[in-house]
Amino acid sequence: MSSQKDYIIEQLKKQIEGIKTETKTEKVGTVVEIGDGVAKISGLSNVMVSEMLQFTLSRTNADSTRTDAEKTVLGVALNLEEDQVGAMVLGEYKNIKEGDEVKSTGKILSVPVTEKMIGRVVNPLGSAVDGKGAITANKDESEANKSECEYYPIEKIAPGVIARKSVHQPVQTGIKAIDAMIPIGRGQRELIIGDRQTGKTAIAIDAIINQSGEDIICIYVAIGQKESKVARIVAELKKNGAMDHTIVVVAGASDPATFSFIAPYAGCAIGEYFMDQGKDVLVVYDDLSKHAWAYRQISLILKRPPGREAYPGDIFYLHSRLLERSAKLNDDLGGGSLTALPIVETQAGDVSAYIPTNIISITDGQIYLESDLFYKGIRPALNVGLSVSRVGSAAQIKAMKKVAGKLRLDLAQFRELEAFAQFGSDLDEKTRKQIERGKRTVEVLKQAQYEPIPVENQVAVLYALTQGYIDDIKTEKVSDWERNFHKYMKSTHKETLDLIKKEQDLSDKIIKKLKKAIEGFKEIYTE
Amino acid sequence: MKVSAKQYAQALYDLTGGKSEVDVSGLIIKFAEELKKGGQLKSTDEIIEKFNEIWNEQNGIIEAEVVSARELENSQACKTKSYIKEKYKAKKVVLKNIVDENIKGGIIIKVGDEIMDGSVAGKLRKLKESLRK
Repeated sequence: MSSQKDYIIEQLKKQIEGIKTETKTEKVGTVVEIGDGVAKISGLSNVMVSEMLQFTLSRTNADSTRTDAEKTVLGVALNLEEDQVGAMVLGEYKNIKEGDEVKSTGKILSVPVTEKMIGRVVNPLGSAVDGKGAITANKDESEANKSECEYYPIEKIAPGVIARKSVHQPVQTGIKAIDAMIPIGRGQRELIIGDRQTGKTAIAIDAIINQSGEDIICIYVAIGQKESKVARIVAELKKNGAMDHTIVVVAGASDPATFSFIAPYAGCAIGEYFMDQGKDVLVVYDDLSKHAWAYRQISLILKRPPGREAYPGDIFYLHSRLLERSAKLNDDLGGGSLTALPIVETQAGDVSAYIPTNIISITDGQIYLESDLFYKGIRPALNVGLSVSRVGSAAQIKAMKKVAGKLRLDLAQFRELEAFAQFGSDLDEKTRKQIERGKRTVEVLKQAQYEPIPVENQVAVLYALTQGYIDDIKTEKVSDWERNFHKYMKSTHKETLDLIKKEQDLSDKIIKKLKKAIEGFKEIYTE
Repeated sequence: MKVSAKQYAQALYDLTGGKSEVDVSGLIIKFAEELKKGGQLKSTDEIIEKFNEIWNEQNGIIEAEVVSARELENSQACKTKSYIKEKYKAKKVVLKNIVDENIKGGIIIKVGDEIMDGSVAGKLRKLKESLRK
C-alpha cells in the first residue's frame, strides 16, 4: 500500500518537474463595450482575424463556485479596426463586463477532431452535449497521450482544381425518385429546397439512414434548430441503427447566434478530417437560411453595412466558401470525398428570394419540394421538372442508368398530357396509355419516410415499371403490388438482387432472370 | 469628413514641436477655439490621452504598470526599470507600482497591451492546468 503511495508521489513529482514555468509576454486587451454576443475590445495589437480570444471574467462577477474553466469564455476576433477589435463571444456573454481582460491565444478558431466523435452529439466547439462524457482522443492509448487531440481550423481554403477529381461514384439515398432521376455523386453539393413542412429534413435523414452498412460517414449539422426536433432526429437515427456512422453537430435555437454561425464550418472541418483519411463523408446542413440569419445578426451588431434584405455584403461568400469545401479528392490525396446536402427553406415557394438564389447558383443542382404535391399525397413531394442534378448520370450505376433513362422524360410528358386530358375524355390509344403509365410511375415513386430502398431493389421495380409489367395493375394497388414484389424478390430471387448489386449492370443474363422473376410474381399476385 | 481624436492629437503635436512656451500657450488657445468650432470639445479628454501616447512614443518614454504583492523596494524598481528599458529600447521608463496581495509573490509587468505574468499565483494556475490534463 505504502509503495503505491510512494509511486503516486514520485509520479507527481516527475510531472511537476516537467512543467515549464518560463514567463512569456502575452498580448491583452480590455473589453470596452459588450452586448448581444459581440464585444468591442481595445488593445490586442497583432491579433489575427478569426483568432481565438479568451475573456477572463473579473473577480466580482465570477463567483467562487465556478471552476477555472468557467471563469473564462472563448471569443473570436472578427473586425479589426483602427484601434478596436470587434469579437463575437462563443458562449454566455452576460457574465462579461466592461473592463474585463481579454487574452489572445495565437490560434485560429479550430475544432478537435477524432474518430471517437462518431455516434456522438457535439456542439460547434467539438464538446459533447449528449451527456455521455467528454470525448477524448483515444481511450486505449496511455494517459499521457490523452489530451493530444487533433485540431482542424474551422475556416479552410477549399481544395483547388489540381486536388480534385470529377465526381463519379454515387451516394445512394435510398429514395427511388432521387436515385433514379436526380442522382447525387460523392463530392457533390445538392441543395434541398422547399417550403416549411415539405419533408426537406426527412430526405436528408433517409439518406443518412440508408448509409447503414455502407462506407460513408454522415454528419448532421443542426443550425438554429429546435432542440426537440434534434432530439427526435437523434432518436430516429438511433432506432434505425444509423448513429453508428453519424455525428450530430448541434447549435440549438437557444444557443447564441455565434454558435449557429460557426456550426456548419465546424461540421465541415470534422468532415474534412475524415475526407483527408480517404473516407467518404456526407454532411447535411440543416438549414442554411437560419445560418444566414445568424450571420446577419452578428454583422448588424458589428455595424457592418446592411445590403439587400439587410444581409451583409459578404453573405454570398459566406455560403460559397462553405460549399466549395465539398470535394472529391484525387487518388494522390487518398480519394476521399465530402458530399454536402445543404437545406434551404423558402417562404411560400419563392425560390427567387435572396438566399435561395445565391445557394442555387453555388450548388450542383437542387431537389425542389412543393407543398402542393405534399398535400396531394405525393411524398417525397419532389417537383421533377425543377429538380436537377448537374452531375447527372455520371453518378449512377449502369443498371440504374438503363432503367431510369427515360423516366424523367416520361414523367414530364405525362404532366403535360394530364393537364390536357382534363378537358375531354376522347383520347387516342397511345395518349391514354401514356397517361396510365405516368400515373403508375408517380405511384411507384412514392415512398414512406424512414424506409430507404436498396439500389438493387430500386432497379428491379423500375425495370418492371418501364417494361410495362405494372400497366395492368390498378393505380391504387400499385404501392401494395410494389411492397409485395420487394418481399417476393427478397425471399425467392435473392441471387438476382445480389447479382445486380455485384455487377452494377443489367447484363442480358440478369435481364432474363429479372423478367422471369417478375413474371413469376405476377402469376401469384392477386389484387 | 470626421476628424478623429488621434488626428487632432497628432496635429497638436506637430504644431507645438520645437516652439517656445509663450508660443505654445497661444497655440493651445487657438486649438481650443478650433475644437469649439468643430464641436469637438467633448472629446478633449480623449485628445489629451492620445497626445500623451504620441508624446511618449516620440520621446521614447514608456509607461509600465508593475503589480507586486508588496511595494517594490528602490533597488527592485531600478532593476525592473532597466529590464523594461532594454526590452522595449526606451529612453525613459515611468513605473507605476500597484500592490495586490492576491498574486502572492513575484511581479506582473504591463506595458501597453503586453503583459508578462511572473507572479506566483500565475505559476500555480499553470501547474494546476497541466496537472489536470
